[in-house]
Amino acid sequence: MQDRAIIHFNVTDFAVAVERIKDSSLKDVPLIVAATRASRAVVYDMSEEAYGDGVRKGMRLTLARKYCRTAQVLAPQPALYRRAMMELVKRVRVFTPLVEQGVEDGHLFLDVTGTHRLFGPAPYIAWRLRKQLQRELGLDPVWSLASNKLVSKVASRMVRPFGEYIVGAGEEQAFLAPLPLSMLPGIGPKEIQLLADFNLSRIGQLAGLSREQLQVAFQERSSSLYDASRGRDGSVVLPGKTGDEHVTRGHTFAQDTGMYAELKSVVSILTHEVGRILRQRGLLGRRMGVVLNYSDGSRTIRRTTHKGGSDNDFLLRRLALAALDKAWGRRVRIRSCALVCDRFLPRSRQKTLFVLSTPRQLQQEKVLSAMDRVSRRFGDGMIRLGTAF
Amino acid sequence: MTDSMRCPVFIGTSGYSYTEWVDSGFYPPGTRTPGMLSLYADVFPIVELNYTWYQMVRAEAISRLIASAPKSFLFAAKLTRTLTHERDRDWKHELKLYREGIRPLEKQLAAILVQLPPGFNRSVQNRYYLAHLLDGLHGFPLAVEFRHISWARDSVFRELEERRITLVTVDAPSMPTLFPCLDVVTNPDLFFVRFHGRNLQGWQSGNIQKKFDYSYSREELAQWNQGVLKSLRSRSGKGLIFFNNHVRAQAPDNGKLLQSILEKEQA
Repeated sequence: MQDRAIIHFNVTDFAVAVERIKDSSLKDVPLIVAATRASRAVVYDMSEEAYGDGVRKGMRLTLARKYCRTAQVLAPQPALYRRAMMELVKRVRVFTPLVEQGVEDGHLFLDVTGTHRLFGPAPYIAWRLRKQLQRELGLDPVWSLASNKLVSKVASRMVRPFGEYIVGAGEEQAFLAPLPLSMLPGIGPKEIQLLADFNLSRIGQLAGLSREQLQVAFQERSSSLYDASRGRDGSVVLPGKTGDEHVTRGHTFAQDTGMYAELKSVVSILTHEVGRILRQRGLLGRRMGVVLNYSDGSRTIRRTTHKGGSDNDFLLRRLALAALDKAWGRRVRIRSCALVCDRFLPRSRQKTLFVLSTPRQLQQEKVLSAMDRVSRRFGDGMIRLGTAF
Repeated sequence: MTDSMRCPVFIGTSGYSYTEWVDSGFYPPGTRTPGMLSLYADVFPIVELNYTWYQMVRAEAISRLIASAPKSFLFAAKLTRTLTHERDRDWKHELKLYREGIRPLEKQLAAILVQLPPGFNRSVQNRYYLAHLLDGLHGFPLAVEFRHISWARDSVFRELEERRITLVTVDAPSMPTLFPCLDVVTNPDLFFVRFHGRNLQGWQSGNIQKKFDYSYSREELAQWNQGVLKSLRSRSGKGLIFFNNHVRAQAPDNGKLLQSILEKEQA
């Protein structure tokens, strides 16, 4: 098995960086980004200068202003940050389709495993991309390279606000060992306190504990702490947004309806949209939920599950209709409905050695693939399955 | 035995950790990154570390690297790009970090390679910078690789000679602005050769995979040995040769080929 090559890009203080590109006069001014009109506003982001004065994300703006009196306060512009994020993603996608992005925060994970023949060694890709992002967008991201997401994220933290860090495969545990526990992603303050009670403050000390010892103090968390402290992380780079744990599509009827056929048709259309997103992101959905919002303001949610997960519209539709049947019962008109697909599994990119699909399933896959191509080229809704009518 | 034969030559490659070298058969199937250096050290006595160009060297990472190689194994380390190609940070601070980071390697360090970018011409400002940089690296064995032709002057060679700094001899495609292949010895203790390949089209493409995609033939290497190499060996105490044509494991293949040519000559 080949070692994975995961690059983590982090544009430090993303909102501030974007604001400074938009208005270059803000370059040397301490900045705080916070909703100025809200009475109990909290800090959304801050510049390094403000950070140096003690301002932190989530801090109340009134307190932040006291810490950094010279700071200029700007209202957050999520749409602008979203656009900047899209520009970042557009550029890195040239090198790999496996790009996982944070929610408008300047974080990107790229899995460039196996791309060396096309683009060269992974450090070269990271270096080249950083240069490109600097040149074309004016953003200067920190980058790191490691064999998994956890270690690459820690490595980025080591060098911010600027720099780069390569952790060689096999060096993960040695790299993490001298670092304080607070550097380990996913470990909470209570767990750090508990470990401090045992006089443990470094990741290496945590890695010195056996599974059994960890079990005593952390029960169900013991396994993940055991792996994390050794720099092991099997999580894959999922195309799309980090923490985006469900796909939702909804429809509001022009007039409240009580007709099952109309509802069934809408559910079919929404299923196709959900299926297409899953295929784009390389995910299989294991649970499909139908949400019905009634004209009297009440709501019903019903779900069905499929153990292996699927991104096949035909199967997803069957699941959605089964959920709809469960939800359908009240004699009140429906104002809107939504489909929620969650409990994702990554779709294997490797083809199976033996043909496990039936001829009908193969046919369906071909149809869906063709429909995806049409939708990509001409837009959503340009082609639909007959079941939607 | 002639003078040139008395000069020991260490042959290696620029970098050793390439997944495609597993695909190409240099490393056995299934070899993973942590196991590569010890396998590499079975074939070559020296490696040029090029990851030190991408990131600042860190003492702890260097210590781990040394631990995974035999004690007699040698390293040449590239100077970090923030001191050569991208000098937008405080270079004196960067230099301090580099000196500290490289220190654990001292006993096995054959040379620090100062590779300068093609745009680094012989302007007053650049001459001033290079002089300060080399002063800042005093105490380390140094080799300077110019990419711009304006540095091909006797006054430059004399200055390097006075400082006992090695001028790197390069084999690369012939281009009007590129520093030429010269057999000038500026440091009688050490010569340093880098084979980049002769893929002119690739060199101009801007694609690293095409740039270094070249395999030297036996005839080309034998000719090189009889010409430039013989001349360098006759005037030096020791020599380092690195193949940078890493694509599809051409570098280790060519390294072994040159090794066999030298052994045959020795015999």
